[in-house]
Amino acid sequence: MRKRVLALGLCAAMAIGAMTGCSSSNGTGETPKETTAKGQDGAQTEAGKPEAKEDLKGSLVFAIWDNNLMDYIDENDMVGKFQEKYPNADIEVEKIKDDSEYWNAMKMRTSANQLPDVMFNKPFTLSRFKDYLVDLSGLEASKNNELASGYAMDGKVLGIPMTAGYEYVYYWKDMFKEAGVEVPTTWEDFEKTAQTLQDYYGKNDPDFMAIALGAKDEWPDYPYMEFMPALQGGNGQNWNDMAKTDAPFADGTDINKAYNKVYSLFGKNVFGKDPLGMGNDQVTSLFAQKKAAIIALGDWGLQNIQSGTDDASELGTFYLPVRDSKDDPFRVIVQGDSFMGVTTHSKNPELAKAFVEWFYSEDWYPGYINYVTSASSMKNFPKEKDPILAQSDEQQPDKELVMYDGGGDNFQAIQNDIAFDYKKLGAQMFTNGFDLKAELDGLNTKWAEARTKLGIK
Amino acid sequence: MNSLEKQKKRFIVCSLVVPMVLLIGFVVFPAFDLIRMSFTNWDGYSKTYDHIGFNNYTAMFRNRDLWLSLRNNGVYFFAHLIFIPIELMFAVLLTSRLRASKFYKTMVFMPYIINGVAISYAFSYFFSPINGAFDEILTVFHLESLIRNWLSDPKIVNFVLAFVSLWRFSGYHVILFMAALQSLPQDVQEAARVDGANAWQMFKYIQIPSIMLMVDFVLFDNIRGALQVFDIPYVMTSGGPGYASSTFTLYTIDTAFKYSNFGLASTMAVAIMVMIVVIYLVQNKIIHGILKGGRK
Repeated sequence: MRKRVLALGLCAAMAIGAMTGCSSSNGTGETPKETTAKGQDGAQTEAGKPEAKEDLKGSLVFAIWDNNLMDYIDENDMVGKFQEKYPNADIEVEKIKDDSEYWNAMKMRTSANQLPDVMFNKPFTLSRFKDYLVDLSGLEASKNNELASGYAMDGKVLGIPMTAGYEYVYYWKDMFKEAGVEVPTTWEDFEKTAQTLQDYYGKNDPDFMAIALGAKDEWPDYPYMEFMPALQGGNGQNWNDMAKTDAPFADGTDINKAYNKVYSLFGKNVFGKDPLGMGNDQVTSLFAQKKAAIIALGDWGLQNIQSGTDDASELGTFYLPVRDSKDDPFRVIVQGDSFMGVTTHSKNPELAKAFVEWFYSEDWYPGYINYVTSASSMKNFPKEKDPILAQSDEQQPDKELVMYDGGGDNFQAIQNDIAFDYKKLGAQMFTNGFDLKAELDGLNTKWAEARTKLGIK
Repeated sequence: MNSLEKQKKRFIVCSLVVPMVLLIGFVVFPAFDLIRMSFTNWDGYSKTYDHIGFNNYTAMFRNRDLWLSLRNNGVYFFAHLIFIPIELMFAVLLTSRLRASKFYKTMVFMPYIINGVAISYAFSYFFSPINGAFDEILTVFHLESLIRNWLSDPKIVNFVLAFVSLWRFSGYHVILFMAALQSLPQDVQEAARVDGANAWQMFKYIQIPSIMLMVDFVLFDNIRGALQVFDIPYVMTSGGPGYASSTFTLYTIDTAFKYSNFGLASTMAVAIMVMIVVIYLVQNKIIHGILKGGRK
């Protein structure tokens, strides 16, 4: 009898579980809102009370994608160190494979009201998640951050950049010397340098690549396709400004000029015999083995290159020279990277804020920022650049920094509507029969239609 | 009604109700919700959305890249369809008394149980233009003239990817056919042999008609698999260059996640469901028509 009752109970539990699991869209939709509202109220009333820190308790989910950060967290017992200050708090670090997967997961969780307590953003995702991020402008970490206020939306700091991201062109100094080329300082020089290297080394090695680019993955062309339009005119707000016009790809615009330069470079035989046949891992490893002379990557790329070679003594860097002549300013992209934010779905927003504050404090941040090759974004914890990366600054002491914005609501709405993927466009430039002019004309038409459809002025 | 009968009834009710509830909750309800979403402009994360009628359906039919992607699905479909008779013959061969047949069975089934992403990674290195094993093999046999850009030439990339798909899934079909062949009653086959049927006649008149249910399933699985192929092109080429090796599912996923258009992506998912059913019905009619014609 007892068994029967138990069996029936289990059946009922399964049935109820299935039904509630599938029909709770309203329920789950409402509960976190209430929690959030309370949390935010709490944040205002308790702000500035240091004694409250000791009373903070609960658990947090901290979602990341960065392998270097994960390694550092594991090796240095981040949770244990945080618990020394907040003994009643617990943190679950959730590692997601890469940033693409990360955004997919975060989008799904947003719709299910299940965002982690603390999440990261990139400049181009801040706008997408802005309704789900808490204002962190009151935190000391925000005040001490060099870049956070520059990315504020409606006066709210929605994420605190963990690093300041710079883009570099890595090269082998000994290979340059042997081929008799200098570090280029204009776009024309850059093309000539690449061609000379290809001609010099390619005659004996058909697999040689003057410039390594894993175009099969599409995203590795971002230093050219994503940043060059902003560098061309020195306008970090280029994407947002494009959203204000009907024909942003017309002749004479920054993006038109930049993409024509890229098209000209990609059309030269300087990327080896088949750039579309290889991914970033493959070409980075070939570059590390000196099967390529140049590769454009972010500061994060240095660790990958160093791990692929035994001798990095001849490794050097310079900034991508986009300018037309030496009289033009030499522009360099800088962007806040990995914006740490607290989500409105957090059940413990005060604890989450305390965690962000702790993360950027001397208890954690200095160790981490010295572990990675990226530059510090914190005024109170400046960091000397890695000697290899510092060579770029020595080459261009008069550089002009362009603070990059990934594009706001209007740009992203148009981008999504017309499926504008600049990284895919870059990869397509390597294909036979690609017509850039026709492509840009087509984009202009679609862009104007999308603006009308979406009512963007 | 005695206690045993009551127990029986309870068991039957539970066994029916629980799967039904789960089926409704996790399949039927989401399917209806998918259809409902296909009439909205939901971006996947906003709290609000608008109902936009058939706009997504008209946008889907006007999307040139999407239909190019569907054409690529066709390459997988026909490659696997052509291979089904070969798989069937392999199954018959492995079911007969073949020396070391267990070893062959394991080898044939092995690719199916290996992780699809790992296989795709391995093959992307296999077909790599630099240090790629396939090009090296061709070089060893002095066939350098056959070397191509396997993963970046739009004319051949889909055939290369379909080859990887065949390598992975053919073994699964062979095992399914073998399971069906092994379940055939021996007495019918013995009787046919006594009557003087040769191997081909046995295959055509006894074995094929007896495992027609399994053949139907494999044909259906081929349509479903070909239309939903995702991991191989995603890992090996990211659907590129451009959309040259993109597939319908890859495009749908990009629409949902890269371009934040869950409404349109839902429309594409509905279209896939409809296509699977329609193609299956047409294919079934054609195949059964051919088989019936052959038996006359």
